[in-house]
Amino acid sequence: MAYKPQYYPGNTSVAKNRRKHMSDDVEKVRDISDEDLTALLGHRAPGADYPSTHPPLAEIGEPACPVREVVTPTPGAAAGDRIRYAQFADSMYNAPAVPYFRSYHVAINFRGVDPGTLSGRQVNEMRERDMEEYAKRQCETEISDFGLAGLRGCTVHGHSLRLQEDGTMFDMLDRRRLEGGVIVSDKDQVGVPIDRKVNLGKPMSEAEAAKRTTIYRVDNVPFRSDKEVVEHVQKVWELRTVYGFVPKA
Amino acid sequence: MVRAASIPGKPIQMKVFPSRLLQPHTAEKLLNEIDQVKGVIRMLVGGKNLPRKVTCGPGTGSDVNHPNMEVIHVGDVAFELHVMVGEVIVEVEDECSREELRKACERALPFPFEFKQGFFIKTKATLVDYGKYGFKSKTDESINLEDERMLGLMDPHASADSNLCIISSGEEK
Repeated sequence: MAYKPQYYPGNTSVAKNRRKHMSDDVEKVRDISDEDLTALLGHRAPGADYPSTHPPLAEIGEPACPVREVVTPTPGAAAGDRIRYAQFADSMYNAPAVPYFRSYHVAINFRGVDPGTLSGRQVNEMRERDMEEYAKRQCETEISDFGLAGLRGCTVHGHSLRLQEDGTMFDMLDRRRLEGGVIVSDKDQVGVPIDRKVNLGKPMSEAEAAKRTTIYRVDNVPFRSDKEVVEHVQKVWELRTVYGFVPKA
Repeated sequence: MVRAASIPGKPIQMKVFPSRLLQPHTAEKLLNEIDQVKGVIRMLVGGKNLPRKVTCGPGTGSDVNHPNMEVIHVGDVAFELHVMVGEVIVEVEDECSREELRKACERALPFPFEFKQGFFIKTKATLVDYGKYGFKSKTDESINLEDERMLGLMDPHASADSNLCIISSGEEK
């Protein structure tokens, strides 16, 4: 029988959503063009070539190495792209993703990624074109709801704040806002104005966000209501503690 | 003008903490409703900072132009909001004004809010206040401030011009 990964335990909607994020079995909910995404990321002008930090690997002539023969370079690494980043902040008010599950999603489903997981934001450093591929995936699917999340390279303040009256997450730099029922963005992720208004789609309703979230909350799906997850977490905790005391075990 | 930080009697302080961050028009409505309550001595508006320019990262120096940085009118005063209002601390003359204050907030806010009594604004001068204002005179060691109700309403290093509004009461108009 073929191996089927078991990503996460539990039977609640939150556990199921966590499995979906980890396995990349997520629904596409909006379209963002490559040019719009490039403008939002702000690392290069839309339509411009990818600047490189070294010549393509094929031109360099790599040394004989069994590991290099086994591991195919990612398109970004093969072309010699620069390392660039994308950073997301998610509201703790039932945003679809949380930093940990953004990290799981990208680390499991993409290669050549250096994830940074923090309490309220999640940053990934990758070769530029690889980074754009992953950022597009996270932006276009149910992983991101731009009412409750944001592409924020700096000044990420907002994830633990109360929502605004219009139900969106506070953004000090006003990168994106609710206009005519949709979220639009006219600044890149570090707050520099861009030459377009990018439509980031309709924000999820409260009920929809509660259904799609990966956050356990007492006012939605409490963590302790999922016995299998509690058991799993306790087991991991116990094994870490035991192995911490007896490293050879 | 009263010299004491609060009106004689037993002033109480209340914190109004809405479940959402307020848009300027709701904040304006709330502050005006509170202003109408009899016995309000002072209000302290708090919230999330709205910067004029990006202060960190590669975009440092770019204009923010936040749409919530609006001029609002409270009583006979107009001022620009520098924060997205998240809480309002109100000092009222006595316990009798508390329920009226709660009703004012219920009228203004379309969503739930917390309404807590406590000690939120200082009522006595501290060392930094004496450092800024000094003593009244060589013989009078009270703080050299015309109206002590200003104490605790702003950072001692901030200027009163952009941080403090004095709203005239109904009788003064």
